[in-house]
Amino acid sequence: MTATPGGFAGRVLRVDLSTGKFSTQDTVERYGDVLGGTGLGYQVLWEEVPQGTGPFDAANKLVFATGVLAGTSVPCSGRTAITAIYPSCWPKALVGSGHMGGQFAAKLKYAGYDAIIVEGRAERPVWLFVRDGHVELRDASHLWGSGIRRATLEISQEMGADCCVAAIGQAGEKLAPLATVVNSLSHSAGGVGGVMGSKNLKAIGVQGSGCVRIAGDKGQWERLVKFHLSILGANNQHVVPAFPSPESEYYSPGSRWVGEPGKRWGAARPPVEITGSIHSMSRIAYRTNSAAYFLGEQAWKHTVRGNGCTSCPIRCHTTLKVPAMATKYGLNEIAQGTCIALNFGRFFFPGLPGGPKGQAALEACMIGMNMADDMGIWSNYGQLQRDFIKLANDGVLQAKLGSAEYSSIPWDQWRAGDPAFLLDLIPRIGERRGELGNVLSQGSGGPFDHWGVPESAWEADRATTYWKMGHPKHHANEDDGQCGVIINTQYNRDAQCHSHTNFVRNGLPVHEQKRLSGELWGSPDSVDAPGHYTRMNPYKARRAQWALIRKELHDCLGLCNWMGPWVASPLKERGYRGDNSLESRFYSLATGRSLDREGLDLAGTRVFTLHRALTIRDMATADMRGAHDHVPQWVYEDPKGAQPFTQGTIRMDRADMALAMDMFYESMGWDKATGAPTRETYGRLGLDAVGQALAEKGLVPGAEK
Amino acid sequence: MTPEDTARLCEAAAQAVREASAELRLVDCAEVLEALAAEGHFAEEDTIGLEEARALLPGLLAAHPALAVLESRTGRTLHHAPEQLSRTYARILDRKGSPLLLMAEEIRANSRDYPRPVPAELFEGPPFELPPEDIAHAVAAMAESPDYQDISSVTTDTGAVYLFSSQHMERGYAMFLAEQTESLTLAP
Repeated sequence: MTATPGGFAGRVLRVDLSTGKFSTQDTVERYGDVLGGTGLGYQVLWEEVPQGTGPFDAANKLVFATGVLAGTSVPCSGRTAITAIYPSCWPKALVGSGHMGGQFAAKLKYAGYDAIIVEGRAERPVWLFVRDGHVELRDASHLWGSGIRRATLEISQEMGADCCVAAIGQAGEKLAPLATVVNSLSHSAGGVGGVMGSKNLKAIGVQGSGCVRIAGDKGQWERLVKFHLSILGANNQHVVPAFPSPESEYYSPGSRWVGEPGKRWGAARPPVEITGSIHSMSRIAYRTNSAAYFLGEQAWKHTVRGNGCTSCPIRCHTTLKVPAMATKYGLNEIAQGTCIALNFGRFFFPGLPGGPKGQAALEACMIGMNMADDMGIWSNYGQLQRDFIKLANDGVLQAKLGSAEYSSIPWDQWRAGDPAFLLDLIPRIGERRGELGNVLSQGSGGPFDHWGVPESAWEADRATTYWKMGHPKHHANEDDGQCGVIINTQYNRDAQCHSHTNFVRNGLPVHEQKRLSGELWGSPDSVDAPGHYTRMNPYKARRAQWALIRKELHDCLGLCNWMGPWVASPLKERGYRGDNSLESRFYSLATGRSLDREGLDLAGTRVFTLHRALTIRDMATADMRGAHDHVPQWVYEDPKGAQPFTQGTIRMDRADMALAMDMFYESMGWDKATGAPTRETYGRLGLDAVGQALAEKGLVPGAEK
Repeated sequence: MTPEDTARLCEAAAQAVREASAELRLVDCAEVLEALAAEGHFAEEDTIGLEEARALLPGLLAAHPALAVLESRTGRTLHHAPEQLSRTYARILDRKGSPLLLMAEEIRANSRDYPRPVPAELFEGPPFELPPEDIAHAVAAMAESPDYQDISSVTTDTGAVYLFSSQHMERGYAMFLAEQTESLTLAP
């Protein structure tokens, strides 16, 4: 193995499944300018995947890419981005990424690789064996048709307990657009499982005994890691506890920092009681209990522990033990998950006996986690469940499904809120069984295409939270006014950006948030109190840009954007400031290539702009403003008729949003009329060749063909 | 008494306040003196005398940069160390004997500062620890009392009761924020 530069493992592995050949490339030489992660994926797609390639074509490429900071001791650095032409993007598949945590990123780097580029299609089912630079394709015929758990177990038995397996389930094998890739039991990347299935690739097992070299001063590195730990809050970087504490001036009942001294992980043996200082760095892992946050007090007694990613003390994947699962449903009594995946089962029901935090809700969550993470089904950020409810309530399912299929569905269980209903429904989706399973597994585009349901009906119904292109809002105007809307216009799937919402929901009072905002983005007016929005201003555009670029940077560096950026902290003595330069400080020390905040943000902007260029190329239009950056109708309405900019509404104003987009495009260096990057902007970002190629197709505003 | 004596007294008193704060106790000057005496602080002839200390202590504690003064609802002047016992928590402890005042002031502070209504069930947990029936009784009693006419409630679609102060928040906004808070766990 050659000497590796700091931070990077040094090599990118290429696997051609059509020929069975492997090759490697130098990461820094070939992909250093785009940092890694999504940047590496976008570059591969730009250079190697022709316009018009379908998601399940052999010509599509699937890029598993970690980043410089993955596999190091940097907190929250366990992420892998999986980039491809993305199947659930409707009506036309475009570039997109799924993101997973777990142990895969670190193991891949310890095995000697920063990324794996999967090409072509195998003739028969295979799995990829990667151990310390040794690579093989092995037969997966015996695993095909099985769930992720069995595949993971069998491969782990073959490789050894210290491997990490990323696998697809039945949904991925059957090319469901809503399919996941899952590693470490519950860490899933949405939307890309079907692409893996189309390549006849059941799983990737990685195992490594190497390490990641840190180029900079080790003492400085250790101090920076400790500093980072000191400014961590709980999940989503909520920096105040949910409960009044003698150690905190502020609290917020909506905070995910629910781990209060005296609470117990009741299903641990022996049970673990939370004690000591809430600010202790050795107790960070007790702050978050995702199950207690979503399911209330009852979850504590079922809590076994917090699980999570390599190097992350937050442990947001709460492990639960509910003995009723085995006796009532014949399922594993233990499951783990966070956020939407934890709620996968519960969200299929409009109502549950005992309410959303009762026993039935808990059991529905357990069934959902067990089955969805085994069959490899993605919820599309809960849109799958909202689509199902709307289709059922609007009578579409009754009208469109054949009577035999419709009557075979246990509707009585659904109406009664019986979690056993999921035992029938989830396999239909995972196996794409019948018309219902086939259509739902396609995402929102399924009912639009298959049953002629108009997309406009979804766009007009706020309850769907549908946004555009087959995907829902992801922290939009309900959280952050114009910033949230801008952010939700930019990607080809749900935005998956948390930079903005992690700040506005951090739990600090609005006067503290405004003070910090003034320091960070130039004016306290860059942030509004929730649901009390003011008109657009340039500082909000600056903040929206910052949020998007940091999200992209995190996806490139292997950092978790569900936690970062860390610009606020629990530390009163720091005036609740975090550190806006943390990413560049870590990058510089890891690689030995000094890059300040502005320099790294510029690299992030390059990557984000490459995503834009790919979208422009594959949509064959530069008119992003008209054809892509869409805002649904419900954003401009209020159920009670409240006017925009009044207290208590998230209704936005069309003219103000048009101005917001103007300001955002301008701050990005994009043409205001079309929302497309200008030739100058491509040049400034080191993307001359990209600008040239698009200009030749007439896809750069103002440039001659 | 020399400046050094005064400085020693000040630090010893501050330490007594810190220790009380670590035990979640607010203390007045008399209690601080008692703690110092128990430690034998006034036993030596060459140290500062008890009466002299009694006269000096209020000023020393009030001026200490690491300590905070709280004017208690009972009229006493109490001291605490915010590092160990935050101002917010200290106020809650001080009001614990008066449920209506306790709830009302917490509701007002939340409506004013964050701004947000608070779920009624907040008061069931520590450090409030009020039984649900006492919370319901307090809400009803506040509705009847002229001192608490600003305290009001909204009920979300999920049936959760949120409390707010109309001095600092409009009802419609309180309803919006309550619904939004509930939605955080239902549509994250």
